[in-house]
Amino acid sequence: MITIDSLVKRRGSKEILSGIGFQARPGRVTGFLGPNGAGKSSTLRILLGLDRATSGTALINSVPFVQLRDPLATVGAMLDGSGAHRARTGRAHLRWVARSAGLPRARVDEVLDIVGLTSAASRRVGSYSLGMARRLGLAAALLGDPEILILDEPVNGLDPDGIRWIRTFLRQHAASGRTVLLSSHLMGELAETVDDVVVINEGKVVADGTLDEITGSHRTLEDAFFALTTGGAP
Amino acid sequence: MTAPTTATRTRGREAAQALAAEMSKLVSLPATWLTLGGTLVVNLILAVAFTVAGLQGSTGTKSAVDIGLASISYAQAGFVILGVLTACSEYIGGQIRTTLTAMPRRALQFTAKHLALAIVVCPAAAITAASGVVLTAGVLGDTAAPVTSGRVVGALSGVTAYLALTALISAAVGALVRRTLAAVVVLLGYFFIVGPLLRDRTPAAKYLPDTAGFAMWFPVADDASAVTPAQGALLLTAWTVALIVFVVIGYRRWDM
Repeated sequence: MITIDSLVKRRGSKEILSGIGFQARPGRVTGFLGPNGAGKSSTLRILLGLDRATSGTALINSVPFVQLRDPLATVGAMLDGSGAHRARTGRAHLRWVARSAGLPRARVDEVLDIVGLTSAASRRVGSYSLGMARRLGLAAALLGDPEILILDEPVNGLDPDGIRWIRTFLRQHAASGRTVLLSSHLMGELAETVDDVVVINEGKVVADGTLDEITGSHRTLEDAFFALTTGGAP
Repeated sequence: MTAPTTATRTRGREAAQALAAEMSKLVSLPATWLTLGGTLVVNLILAVAFTVAGLQGSTGTKSAVDIGLASISYAQAGFVILGVLTACSEYIGGQIRTTLTAMPRRALQFTAKHLALAIVVCPAAAITAASGVVLTAGVLGDTAAPVTSGRVVGALSGVTAYLALTALISAAVGALVRRTLAAVVVLLGYFFIVGPLLRDRTPAAKYLPDTAGFAMWFPVADDASAVTPAQGALLLTAWTVALIVFVVIGYRRWDM
């Protein structure tokens, strides 16, 4: 369970987040939607303990991320890019991450297999395509077999096969009772994947509900999104 | 699924795993081995150059230790670069975010990184220093001034500790600056320009990290006010610890 409450982030005089609050529940895929610059990544970075909130709380199972006893087994996080140094091989990257949680080497090979990166595991990350880098980021997120997945723009850079694969994967993940929170600025890709939707714009939550509630009388989620974020029907 | 449940891991286990992860990072980075190998080769070339100069008499009659270690004041640049790379490689490809989501207790992770660097650098520094001395002794043969084994061991351990502490200081500065080139320029500027200038101009400079560190191994003129090797080691260690503590206070709070 992810619980975010009254989150405010200021950088200098600029207010990036103005009281963000929502929950992501177990067994459901929660879509965190908003245009670029709306504050999605800032919210996720605070949730993961990478940035400090000016005020408010972002909790994982009722505690801040930095207080989790075993973060890798609790939360799998994938932010933009590979999160890996380009001079290491994909396998070497996953190995040091695995060591930080005392996971066996065999687990590295398992996650490489899950994301379909086994054949490229001995290559330097610098030679990976954007899609492969995203798969490596997802492999790292899955290492600890976490109960919660937090993914920032997971379909970015994936080919149609990859997008289809990640949709199925996330649906299965939620179906097994786990929590999935994913951010996106792409509405079309998301509509078939999410159960709940949180829409933010300019640092504020403008809508929060189930997919049906948010889509409402609009034809598609995309239409609803533009209506919500531009203040009128497109 | 082979992932074990480790929800009850202790603080000690967490620290050991953080050290293992940081060791794994350091040894799997090709730049680590390139820097260490390059430093070893450059140091041997410089040692030969200094030895040839010694044979021509331009440095007077000195022992193989004194001549063989003269190159270290240049070869230390390699250890500065290694320290900076260790810290700044975190900021390539967004790796720092993987690091801090895997090891969110930042002071622990930072300490583990520096400890891992010390574990890699100590043997590398000892090999670099000893190979220079052995090569010099071989070339000089009987022409070198005699030297006691106590002096050899003392000088080599002094050099090893000096290079390890220099690498740690460089890693801390790297974490502060975050950019490889900027950190290397700042550090080499200090060690090769500002430090030597201050050394010649102010007596108080003997307490600065570079000059105090030199006292750990470089032969100093008999002078009652000079820093002894033990005092030099103490001073450089104090500088290193103080700098790491200073940087970690910021590192715990920064947005990454």
